[in-house]
Amino acid sequence: MAIEGADLIKAAAFLGAGICMGIGALGPGLGEGFTAGKACEAIGKNPKEAGLLTRTMLVGQAVSESTGIYSLVVALLLLFVV
Amino acid sequence: MMIQWDAETVIKMAAYAGAGLCMGLGAIGAALGEGYTAGQANEAVSRKPELSGEVFKTMLVGQAMAESAAIFALVVAMLLLFVNFPTHSWLFAMSSLSAGLCMGLGAFGSSIGSGFPAGAACQGTTHQPAMGGRLMTTMLIGSAVCQTPAIFAMVVSFILLFSNFSAQPFNPAWAALLGAGLATGFAAIGPGIGGGLVARAACDGVARNPERAGPVTNIMLLGQAVSQTTAIYGVLISFVLIFRNNEATTLIAPSAALLAAGLCMGFGAFGPGLGLGVVAQNAVKWISRSEAGTGDITRLMLVGMAVTESTGIYALVISLLLIFVV
Amino acid sequence: MDDLGNIHQIIVHLGGWDLAFNFEAMVMTWTVIGLLLLFGFFAVRGRSLVPGPIQVVGELFVFHLYGLVEDTLGKERAKTYGPLICALFMFLLLCNWLGTIPHLEEPTKDLNTPLSLGILGFLVAHVSGIRAKGFKGYAKEYIEPFPFMLPLNLVGEIANVISISFRLFGNIMGGSIIILVISHLAYSLVLPPFLLAFFGLFVGTIQAFVFTMLTTVYISIQVK
Repeated sequence: MAIEGADLIKAAAFLGAGICMGIGALGPGLGEGFTAGKACEAIGKNPKEAGLLTRTMLVGQAVSESTGIYSLVVALLLLFVV
Repeated sequence: MMIQWDAETVIKMAAYAGAGLCMGLGAIGAALGEGYTAGQANEAVSRKPELSGEVFKTMLVGQAMAESAAIFALVVAMLLLFVNFPTHSWLFAMSSLSAGLCMGLGAFGSSIGSGFPAGAACQGTTHQPAMGGRLMTTMLIGSAVCQTPAIFAMVVSFILLFSNFSAQPFNPAWAALLGAGLATGFAAIGPGIGGGLVARAACDGVARNPERAGPVTNIMLLGQAVSQTTAIYGVLISFVLIFRNNEATTLIAPSAALLAAGLCMGFGAFGPGLGLGVVAQNAVKWISRSEAGTGDITRLMLVGMAVTESTGIYALVISLLLIFVV
Repeated sequence: MDDLGNIHQIIVHLGGWDLAFNFEAMVMTWTVIGLLLLFGFFAVRGRSLVPGPIQVVGELFVFHLYGLVEDTLGKERAKTYGPLICALFMFLLLCNWLGTIPHLEEPTKDLNTPLSLGILGFLVAHVSGIRAKGFKGYAKEYIEPFPFMLPLNLVGEIANVISISFRLFGNIMGGSIIILVISHLAYSLVLPPFLLAFFGLFVGTIQAFVFTMLTTVYISIQVK
């Protein structure tokens, strides 16, 4: 079976996309978990500020998710552009 | 020397390699989890030597729970070793290797996770000897729910072992089957450990504040159930990979896409699964300490978990794109 | 087992476009809408100070959900968004529970349903954001903290729609596939009811709640 260059490149791009999104999801998942965990703790200590804490948590999570979104963008580029 | 590369030989080789990997990987988690439990039990006994009988009992029950995922791995390994599988298709070599990997990896997280509540229960027994029964119940429920990802892995490996793939073309299907095993196997690790963290916080909480045992157990179950969503995504991708109709091809790219889909979902479920566990762990911990704000904490926990999960969902989307679009 | 992933589609050719209609999902969605309309009709018919059983259920839904919306959005805005959020939750809840009845299927199992609801929530959130802050104030948020973050902020907003809809879809689809496969493997009468209770009722309720809460939270982020 002859292996063509274009086929090999496509195969590598697909594998790369999968691994990129897979491993890229690891860090943000953990990090956002810590953020939300601490927010739960803060509400336990100070139940009156629930609204403010929810918003702070969501902003913090949105920022820590940005690396996950970079992985998503790179994976989509690898799938459809390269 | 001539080696005979016929289907029978290769399938036997793959089954033996799968069995070894299955039990080998499956033993890591159980050993770690049980070791953690025993360590905590030692600490508890050193604090209150007169309660050593109680602690010993709790430790043994907890370790038995932590071992159950390793026993699933043993079952799959035994099946791979001793059942004479039909040799009509070369694909069976890949599906038996994949079944072994799936169960071996899948047992890892659940066994570590089940060790956590058992350790906390041992410690709790010395803090609140009167609450021994309640603690034992919480621990048993918590570690039983921790086993769910390992049970998912067992279901997927049974399907890989007992389905007939002879109608499938070899080239893309080998990658689909391997990917299916890896997706559920890796995806089970994070939620397994995460579920254990939640159950540990619950056992701790019950021991510290026995009056709150009811809400703590409820929130523990809720948190564990939501932690397992990424494992469910892994199972979803595995089933899609196993039951799709592959078209025969000589190219590598389609196989690479299917394998990548499995790897992507497997790795992608790990971090969020663990993170979800951390969220629920903190929520349970603070619900056990204070009466006020249980509703607020629960709501914040659910919203926080939903956002934490989003990278796992991106992995699901990329996997589905890899399977169906490219 | 063999028809796993089979979708009954009706394809209509219309001036060069192929419009695909997923038959089952549409029938089930209309079933849910019909049931909800019936429920609403009976809940408000013969309203009285001492409520009947259906009125009690209706009041429970509205009371709790309205309280949640008030907590998140404030008293004034809850009047605008409360009805939408209540309706969304009740619709999703019934959708997710529908699969526990034999021969019926969850409309949320079809990606189109959660995706369209997600897009609906996205549009509502952003339109209210533009209304609350004016277009300038709304657009300014995309170039914060730096102007070159614009594409990433845009991707981040769209990723919210993807994550909210795929969360619902993945959970419901995953649950129904697991139930199907395990019932097929085990031939058991004992296991499937438990699985249905877990995936259908329990996970369905949680996911409906999470979807509703996230929609509310997205609106609250935009309007504040």
